[in-house]
Amino acid sequence: MTVELLTSPDAGAPDSDARAFRAGVRASAPILVALVPLSLVVGQHIAADGDPLAGWAGSWVVYSAGAQLAALDVLGHGSGWVSATAVGLLVNLRLAAYATAMQPDWATAPLSRRLLAALVLSDPPWALSRGREHGRRAYYLGAGVAMFLVYPSLTGVGVLVGARLSDVAVLALLPALSLGAVVAPQLRTRPTALAVAVALACSVVTVALPSGPSFALTGTVGGVVAWICWRPR
Amino acid sequence: MTTWLTVLAIGLGSVALRALPLLTTRRLPERLTAAAGAGGMSVLVGFSARSVLEFGDPSMPYAAPVAVVSVVIGLVAAFRGRGVLTSTAVGLVAYVAAAGAIGAVR
Repeated sequence: MTVELLTSPDAGAPDSDARAFRAGVRASAPILVALVPLSLVVGQHIAADGDPLAGWAGSWVVYSAGAQLAALDVLGHGSGWVSATAVGLLVNLRLAAYATAMQPDWATAPLSRRLLAALVLSDPPWALSRGREHGRRAYYLGAGVAMFLVYPSLTGVGVLVGARLSDVAVLALLPALSLGAVVAPQLRTRPTALAVAVALACSVVTVALPSGPSFALTGTVGGVVAWICWRPR
Repeated sequence: MTTWLTVLAIGLGSVALRALPLLTTRRLPERLTAAAGAGGMSVLVGFSARSVLEFGDPSMPYAAPVAVVSVVIGLVAAFRGRGVLTSTAVGLVAYVAAAGAIGAVR
């Protein structure tokens, strides 16, 4: 798959698109490194499931560590596939918010490009591209494609060796630190900062809930606050 | 078979959640996309907060509060313009330094 195929012809000159694509790949590198422990933990949970091949296929098909962990946890407690699916989808509800926020950038892109953008949508590329001024589509695709290729490979490694690295406690802080570091510089606008502050309080209050309902509530609260505080530019 | 069913059902549902908003070529209202963006940011912050609050380290006491302080230090570095790698390293070093200090005091 070439850079030219992945970047949009109407987003700018091919050269600058290629540069933005490569910049996206580079920007995702530290996050991919930081996600190694989490991916290995997911792999460890997959290995513990009765059908590791199906669990690993989920790394590509579900393509969300949180949803995958939550669903495997529900399956592990013997609650059946309907409950596991409901929990997994609840965790992934945030993806609809991400896609909605991306829509103005992608409205003029060809259908195939929009489908590719949807396929590789996950937390890091979305958050990274929010802070990008120029060539945002190509930048997003660079980060997204890198993530899409590396994350499932890492969970595959985790199926084999996950237990060893996940014993190092401090590494569990890496995903929080790296995702937080992507979000923090974007809190300079008042509505976003206010929304995130209220959402932070909400996530602390709902920490005892399962992750799916907690994330759904936190995202809804943040979105509602931003809706109320919104002022036309 | 149960795992396959679950994976396929969540996968199909997730593709729909990802793709449906992007399939429309009509521009969505700016207020809606701004609110969705803030909602997305909120979920990421919720994810980070949750993983720090649930953090445990059997090798040291007060692991969760130390983790909270370390992550805040890392995020302040990010807010002040440091890159992802530097900010992450700052947070990790803060945690390891605090763990070393607590270990020495004990």
